Amino acid sequence: MQFLGTDKYYLNPELREIVNIAMAMEKPLLVTGEAGTGKTQLAFEIARALGLTLEEARCKSTFKGEELCYVYDTVLRLNDSRFGTGESGRDVNKIWDYLGFGPIGRAFLAEERRVLLLDEIDKTDSDTQDNLLDVLEDGSFIIREINHKVKAEQMPVIIITSNAKRELSDPFLRRCYCHHIPFPSMEEMSQIIRLHYPEVPAPLMDSALAIFYNLRQQGFEKPPATAELLDWLGALLLDGAKPPITPDKIPFLGTLLKRTQDLLHHKGVERESV
Amino acid sequence: MFLPFFYQLRDQGIPVSLRYVLEFYQAMEKGLAPDLDRLFILTRLIFVKKVEHFDGFEQAFAAYFLGAEGGSIPRFSQQAWEDKGFSRWLEEEMARGSLPDDAVERFSLAELLQRFWEVAMEQRGKHRGGHTWVGTGGTSAFGHSGGEREGVRVHGDSLHGSALKVIETRRYMDYAASATLRAENLRQVLAALKHMAPAGPPTDLDVDETIDRTCRNGGEIELVFKRELRDRIQLIVLLDNGGASMHPYLDLVKLVFGQMRDQFRDLDYYYFHNCIYGCVYSDPQRLAPCPVHQLVRRDPETRVLVIGDANMAPAELMVSNGAIDYFSKVRVPGRDWLLQLRNHFAHSVWLNPMPRSRWPHESRTIQQIGEIFPMEDLTLAGIRRAVEWLNSGAPPSRNSRQVAAGS
Repeated sequence: MQFLGTDKYYLNPELREIVNIAMAMEKPLLVTGEAGTGKTQLAFEIARALGLTLEEARCKSTFKGEELCYVYDTVLRLNDSRFGTGESGRDVNKIWDYLGFGPIGRAFLAEERRVLLLDEIDKTDSDTQDNLLDVLEDGSFIIREINHKVKAEQMPVIIITSNAKRELSDPFLRRCYCHHIPFPSMEEMSQIIRLHYPEVPAPLMDSALAIFYNLRQQGFEKPPATAELLDWLGALLLDGAKPPITPDKIPFLGTLLKRTQDLLHHKGVERESV
Repeated sequence: MFLPFFYQLRDQGIPVSLRYVLEFYQAMEKGLAPDLDRLFILTRLIFVKKVEHFDGFEQAFAAYFLGAEGGSIPRFSQQAWEDKGFSRWLEEEMARGSLPDDAVERFSLAELLQRFWEVAMEQRGKHRGGHTWVGTGGTSAFGHSGGEREGVRVHGDSLHGSALKVIETRRYMDYAASATLRAENLRQVLAALKHMAPAGPPTDLDVDETIDRTCRNGGEIELVFKRELRDRIQLIVLLDNGGASMHPYLDLVKLVFGQMRDQFRDLDYYYFHNCIYGCVYSDPQRLAPCPVHQLVRRDPETRVLVIGDANMAPAELMVSNGAIDYFSKVRVPGRDWLLQLRNHFAHSVWLNPMPRSRWPHESRTIQQIGEIFPMEDLTLAGIRRAVEWLNSGAPPSRNSRQVAAGS
């Protein structure tokens, strides 16, 4: 099984190798990097390119880890035992009728290999990460209520993303392959744009890229990233804007700079340069 | 056969565990490194887990697989494995005539890389001793600090000279390093510091209680919810930032304190000079006072860490107007203030940056304060014990309880 990128996703050759090595070694791949470098998208594209089902867990700070594996619905069972199961077909004596599986559980139980995305793992607290470690490493978890071990039929392709808001613990890092996605270079960026807007005229692309990378270097609180650039270009194309766009007067600036501070700062710079 | 490479990684300060090594061989067996660039990516994935290790890894890789010569380690950028080492090799080969000048046109890049890889593998044998130059070339941080260590030991005996203060610090830093007190393991030790307490709205179903109540109800279901356990640790750090006596430990204290600030959300810190009299200060210049009686109004579950060398004139601790600050009007001796803190906060500990071996010789006050607070040094083991103290909430020592009863 080899992942070679897709028509909508530009894949850096280095990253391609990394993904394939991680898949071959059956190790979780932790991708870090700035927002807008395509960390989350990577999992979607792997699933799409290889025709695998994606199981997705968007992490929240309240997660304890276990609910990603399974959920045991005690209240429903109590309710059924009191009022009867009616037409539902559940049997109060069978605990399995009250067990639901989370993304990890589903990925493990599936007969075919799946892609498992744990998005923004850094949002969870370190205990949760430690709990998840063992699960991901062994490819198994235990349903405590019945002491039943669920073992992965096929080790899923595990992609973990982190914005590195908080440091991940050393043991966690040790068990993953870690890769930091650098911000795309100008050439890579033009390839990314071509994938999304094949019809962008070259002059527009060049001036847009120049302005974009110039803006990124000005130390804004929230520098524009790939998503902003694509939005902006989309707006420019819809508007039928004709090049050249000058740095003094950027149309649809709001699509590039999101924070009031940044906008004001930029306007200040603009006024000085006039 | 790759063993020297692993050691070279270690020399660069990259932790190498047996597990990684096994993983590496496993990957080799799977044929995941058919050429040099893939080998580079593979080894990096297996061994490098943190950005700060990238540089060291690249140097070790260059030295081992490309036989980089001493002193001129090629600084590898992202594509370096494609251009630098390879292109240089290509040029040399063409210059020597072992590859035709038009090799670039005649062979595909893949073929050339393959050849390069083979040569590199052969050369690796020749450069087997190559790992020794790391450190002697003067570029490796490891070897460099080794040299310093030597230098310091020469002067190590005269500890009280002021000119040697800076060197003193280094010596101590070295001491810390030998106890492997580093940012990363410190983080792990501090992670053990927890205070689990029920928090938030009652959302967790208390199954036992629910069944119990339901049975009492004659089968009519009564759901009982409880609040979930969360880490609610609150921490107060009191830092001695005054006087020359703390000066040698500045870097060390900074490291520990910095880690704490990163790790704990509910962290308050205050400063004091030598000993605590009446108040501590919320700014390093000690201009904004915060009275002790305000501190002891805080939740007694709060963990308190005092960082200081506990090294002062005995009068400062024991005499009723012994405060080092000349204009202080405080009449209560330092010892009583410390006792007040200790009696309120059961989970408190004193961290002394001075090496434990010097405590008995340095000042009587160290022992006296050690009777009030459990005292640990700033080594990894010391901090680990301190964390245990803080978690268990050791009862105040016998001595302090007597005084508390008497006062």
